[in-house]
Amino acid sequence: MTRVDRLRTRLTTAGRRLRRVARIARWELGQSTSSYNRRTLAVIAVLVVVVASVGTSAVALGVASPSPNTDIYRVGVADNSPYNAVIDDHASLTARPPDRTALATGEIDLLIGGVRQPAAGPGPRSPTLLVEPADGEKGDAALTAFRSAVQSYNDRAMALEPNRTAAYPVIVELQYIPQSTLGPAAPTNAGNLTGDDTSADDADGGDGTDTDANDTDTNGTISDADGGTADGGGDNTTGTDRTEGDAPPVADGGGGSLLDRALFGGGTSGSPAEIQPPFPFGSLLLAFLFLVPMNFVIQSYGSSILNERISRRGELLLVAPVERLDIVAGKTLPYAAIAVAVTAVIAAAIGGSLLSVAAVVPIAMTFLAATFLGAMFARSFKELTFVTITITVFLTSYVFIPSIFTNVTPIALISPLTLVVMELQGEAVTLGSYLFSTGPFYTSAGVLFLLGTGVYREEDMFSQKPVPLKFLDALDARLSGIRSVGVLTALFLPFVFIAELLAIAVLFVLPIEVSIPLMLVVIAAVEEVAKSVHVFAGFESDRFDRSVRTALLLGIASGIGFFVAEKFTAVAQLVGLPNLQLGEAALQPAGIGITPSTSLLLLAGPLVLHTVTAGVAALGARKNLRWYLVSLVAATAIHAAYNFGVVTLYG
Amino acid sequence: MIEVSGLRKTYGDFAAVVGSEFEIDRGEIFGVVGPNGAGKTTTLKMLAGLIEPTSGTATVAGYDAGDPEMRHQLGFLPEESPLYEDMTARSYLRFFADLYDVPREVASERIESTLDRLDLDYRDRRLGDVSKGMKRKVAIARSLVNDPDVLIYDEPASGLDPLTTNSVLEFTEELREDDKTVIFSAHNLYHVESVCDRVVIMNEGRIIARGSVADIREQYGETTYHVYSDTALDGTDPTADGRHRAVVETMAEVEAIQAAATDAGGSVTDIRTDEPSLESIFLELTGQQMPSPRTARDTEPASEPTTDQHEVEDAP
Repeated sequence: MTRVDRLRTRLTTAGRRLRRVARIARWELGQSTSSYNRRTLAVIAVLVVVVASVGTSAVALGVASPSPNTDIYRVGVADNSPYNAVIDDHASLTARPPDRTALATGEIDLLIGGVRQPAAGPGPRSPTLLVEPADGEKGDAALTAFRSAVQSYNDRAMALEPNRTAAYPVIVELQYIPQSTLGPAAPTNAGNLTGDDTSADDADGGDGTDTDANDTDTNGTISDADGGTADGGGDNTTGTDRTEGDAPPVADGGGGSLLDRALFGGGTSGSPAEIQPPFPFGSLLLAFLFLVPMNFVIQSYGSSILNERISRRGELLLVAPVERLDIVAGKTLPYAAIAVAVTAVIAAAIGGSLLSVAAVVPIAMTFLAATFLGAMFARSFKELTFVTITITVFLTSYVFIPSIFTNVTPIALISPLTLVVMELQGEAVTLGSYLFSTGPFYTSAGVLFLLGTGVYREEDMFSQKPVPLKFLDALDARLSGIRSVGVLTALFLPFVFIAELLAIAVLFVLPIEVSIPLMLVVIAAVEEVAKSVHVFAGFESDRFDRSVRTALLLGIASGIGFFVAEKFTAVAQLVGLPNLQLGEAALQPAGIGITPSTSLLLLAGPLVLHTVTAGVAALGARKNLRWYLVSLVAATAIHAAYNFGVVTLYG
Repeated sequence: MIEVSGLRKTYGDFAAVVGSEFEIDRGEIFGVVGPNGAGKTTTLKMLAGLIEPTSGTATVAGYDAGDPEMRHQLGFLPEESPLYEDMTARSYLRFFADLYDVPREVASERIESTLDRLDLDYRDRRLGDVSKGMKRKVAIARSLVNDPDVLIYDEPASGLDPLTTNSVLEFTEELREDDKTVIFSAHNLYHVESVCDRVVIMNEGRIIARGSVADIREQYGETTYHVYSDTALDGTDPTADGRHRAVVETMAEVEAIQAAATDAGGSVTDIRTDEPSLESIFLELTGQQMPSPRTARDTEPASEPTTDQHEVEDAP
């Protein structure tokens, strides 16, 4: 057979496989949609259309939320007063003729008087509006509502002002810097403004008039709005104030879309009013926006996979001339497509680009892969429910919690959601950051699918083995010889990486004296499990003979596999994680971030360490579970001691 | 068409199948019988490539069991074959035809002709809404959608009413005329006996008997004679109708009883020949509890012999 013939054969085979995958995907889509009652779907569709229509119409008509507070406060105001517009724009306020008698009799709740110009000498230096509330709680409430109305009106007016410099003469840019660089004497809760303006403590700028016109004296007067200097910004921030003469750029509010502004407030640059202290609201909302739909997708996906097993329907597909991988691909494709489509729509709605989609897709893939493996292990829908809830809680926490610290610490980058936050804040995302965030997710998803596909076979699909035994089966299915042990160990690295980074994220709040030793032990334990659990699976299934020689060979193979894969953690350097003390503790024992003079020693060190400890664990694994656990503890102790030694010597 | 050599499957310390060996020719209907847990289904699934043997080899239509190409030549009907109940018979069969790369036109024609042969109506009704017999027929039609050379049927008539069972058995026999090779497993040994050319009997993972039903009957069973007389004789037992019966294994013994009856002033009124059924051989070979007529010489048989009856009123 010539090379061309071989190529043609391969292409034909690939084409056939793709056709089968597409056919299974089409069938799966039909199955999943037909599992819902058509009448129910029709009712839901009608409801969605009705709600969307009503909502759109209501928004268009400005009556989206008919409030019980509508026109509740009657404000006496002259016809020619500019505050008529303020009152008209506010739902709870309604204008009435300005009549002091009406105020006394309770027919109006607030009386707008004249404007008092600033007098020479001490006192307010801006014009003051005289407002008189009626006696009682309703009068006070009306005054509060009126203040809010004035503030909102002014904000809107400023936002519409074409001359941005005039509207926002002071622009503040926030720069978050690591707390460690401030030094021990640095204040922990005060701003550290650079430049020549006021300090952060000097809130409500004392020597100028406010832009937001919300200063109110105790007598119920409101200072007029005519612009002024800004206050110093929020806590824990540094900023640079610009004056008019600096010709500052137009404040961008930190993002493009309206929703983006709503998510992230003023962002990191803009007028003082737009600057807000870091708050995870945006991350929180993003987590819900992106992750909630995924939960529906995985429920449906997991049910479909388990249905194939519980009812034994999947047996007939296994007899058909279709590769297991193609069956899994075909069954997964519709759900993956739905997850990507939903992600794309949400990303577009919040002003994200393709980067946001590319950041969330690996999360979706991991959701699906974990669900697939869980559905392959679960013996009932009850167990599947437990599995999907566990996946949801773990993955949601993993992607949500770090993204809270987007502007605080590089650890946040362990979550791909942080990339979305960064994009929406207008920050650049490097390729290294993208790989660092999403790499473990992509690889984890691949490995989980690989393990699940390994047990997508008659012997495991339709049996009621306990979950731990199925897990061992899944591992064993991917073993063939000594080399495969090393490969599987290497493939586990993303999980090791995720576990270690999660440990860093959890432990970094503890005092450094506690967190670092704890971290070194946790890391040792995680790595030793990753290097030995499949070796144990191989011995349990009698794939390997239980001789000492075989155990040592498997240990060496596993240690080498881990060592090689571990070098990939060098990507952490791209995002500066080792610059953190905790990151150093976590990653430097592996030989990362060290000086060239010690690099040779520390290159050989981890190799010896990993092969020795993997060998120790394999010696126990060849006997039985109890001996495996004992040897695992011993291997962890050796590994942890090594980690302490490296940190002590080079830390 | 099928060659099995040293086929073995173990699960830990448990051996499900131990060293099975047999060959099946093209166009043959081959029965696999045995009690529950004998290893029948495991053997069939190893042949279908669903279960990987621990050791040994199995080739089907010239391919190793499990080879993707082999699957194109195979139709498999598992004991339980739940269908996708939201699909219709036609859409279900077309789906599998697509997976087997059967061209659309060919698939449509084949599906319709198979459904015609199986006398299956309601082809566009949801499979969830049709009877169990209809579902089984659809499953059988699915096994033929790729026009395979080899068919593996595990309990094809399981749980069906007598009418549908007969229909399924007749259809299975017709497959022989189509030159299909069929491996047939059933609990109801009458079905196996009536359809299969050759059988193997399995017990505890091993093949304990093999050959045609006639061969096995000759090899493992013995013909017995139930001799009824109107006089009590040595070695006879009274029956419910007032006669006396002896169960013997040779014609010489029959003649001796006849002579004894005449000497006692009576006569032999009936002689019935009992040829062993596959079931009785199976029960005896597998050590099951049900006693065979041959070993129940001194007790009432579980059922009256029904084969080869002789009226001997005019016997000497």
